[in-house]
Amino acid sequence: MGDFVDALLSPLAQGFVRRALGAGLALGAAAALLGVFIVQRGLGLLSDGLAHATFGGLALGLLLGATVDRAIVVALPFTVAIALGIQYVRRRTTLGGDVATGVFFAVSFAGGILFLGLRPASAPPVNVEGLLFGSLLAVSPESLRVILAVAALVVVVLVWIGPRLAYATFDPELAALSGVPVAALEYLLLALTALVVVVGVKTVGVVLVSAFVVIPAATASLLGRRLGTIALLAVATSVFGTAFGLFASYHLNVATGATIILTLGAMFFLALVFRRR
Amino acid sequence: MSAALHARGVAVELAGKRVLDDVSFAVERGEFACLCGPNGGGKTTFLKAALGLVPLAAGEIEVLGARPGAAGSAVGYVPQAKSFNPAFPARVVDVIVANRRGSWPVRTTSADRDAARAALARVGGEGLLDAAVRGLSGGELQRAYLARALVNDPALLLLDEPTAGVDARGRAEFLDLLAGVAARGDLAAVLVTHNAAAVRRLARRVVYLDGRVRAWGGPAEVLDREWDRAAFSGHDHEAPSSPLCEDE
Repeated sequence: MGDFVDALLSPLAQGFVRRALGAGLALGAAAALLGVFIVQRGLGLLSDGLAHATFGGLALGLLLGATVDRAIVVALPFTVAIALGIQYVRRRTTLGGDVATGVFFAVSFAGGILFLGLRPASAPPVNVEGLLFGSLLAVSPESLRVILAVAALVVVVLVWIGPRLAYATFDPELAALSGVPVAALEYLLLALTALVVVVGVKTVGVVLVSAFVVIPAATASLLGRRLGTIALLAVATSVFGTAFGLFASYHLNVATGATIILTLGAMFFLALVFRRR
Repeated sequence: MSAALHARGVAVELAGKRVLDDVSFAVERGEFACLCGPNGGGKTTFLKAALGLVPLAAGEIEVLGARPGAAGSAVGYVPQAKSFNPAFPARVVDVIVANRRGSWPVRTTSADRDAARAALARVGGEGLLDAAVRGLSGGELQRAYLARALVNDPALLLLDEPTAGVDARGRAEFLDLLAGVAARGDLAAVLVTHNAAAVRRLARRVVYLDGRVRAWGGPAEVLDREWDRAAFSGHDHEAPSSPLCEDE
């Protein structure tokens, strides 16, 4: 038994695996907590839209002369601005969140393609696939520190605003009457989501970061009856799915991000079978 | 002591259209008033303006001596359409305690549960404490929301067509509940309703609102005058065939 566990955990002897595990767990936990509010609000497509918008921001950074690593400095305000734009359209028009997300997603992604094409021919080539899909196993110590800091910030802010944000998620009008700053909290939720998505896209890619936000929260919502339980279940789902997927991908020698998503997906379908009715 | 609710020359514009103009009336403390009038007459808009949810284009509203939205938990509100998020995992106790705390209760204490239970007992809804909100019937939802409005012992209760969508039996039971609430001398209430039976039974004063205050007085006086005109002449109203105050 001991030998089996040792063999299972042997990848942890390597620094890049430890960094990947730390980045995945921290990013997954923060994204899962955000996802509880995103999913309850029916904004499941938001993280996907913001992840694609991040591509536009990274491309703009490259056009302005930044390196791939430094382009995040442009991508972050760009994506936060897109998130706030989506929220502005949701609040000020009769269009739904999915429509607003669809418009901003398409425009910023197309902008990204345009920005890359406008770069001078002498500019160093860019691996677009790398921009879109990232690589969890390639997380540098510097990126890990950024991820841990962002995850800690998101968790602290969500613990602070969570009860009021939850009230606004249940009924914004009644929450406003109780003195909850509904609009400010909604903008903050989207800004935090943009922050996690940008950092996540840079390290784990567009697809995985969206999965981190949506799948654990959706799984937990099928099983939990109370908000606190759902939040804990979402984090637990994300932590287990990330750890299991990472070790499984290492031993099976398959793509890490895809294995993590498939693990999370399997947990979702299990929850669908055993959900509360 | 100031009135429970005092409107002076109130005007409200929504999407560039003036829906209330020069609205003035007062509801004294401990008084039960009904807001009656045709659909689109601005009744709900007035309540929302009094709650601070809709800005005033002109005039002023004093709510318990404060500006709209500033009286806090001293004002209880039962909304017309329950616009809550049905996907949200909410129990009745959570909804009531949220109004008590001003934030969603991730955990409820025994004191929270006792307060919610007491509020539900006032509306005959003791059994609803741990019920999921999304599973409630129309009548149960009204009780839960009335309990929510009463949990802070408000001095003013604003009720926006609370029996809309509730069956006849549920309406009658809710009317009994409101009569019990109205009997509490220190609680003022403003009830928006199309129900003439409710007006006759509960109201000490009736405000007939149709963009402006058309009449303001005792139930018999206002109902007889406005009800007849609305129901039978109709020239002042957009939908004369729709009764403004329906008798049971």
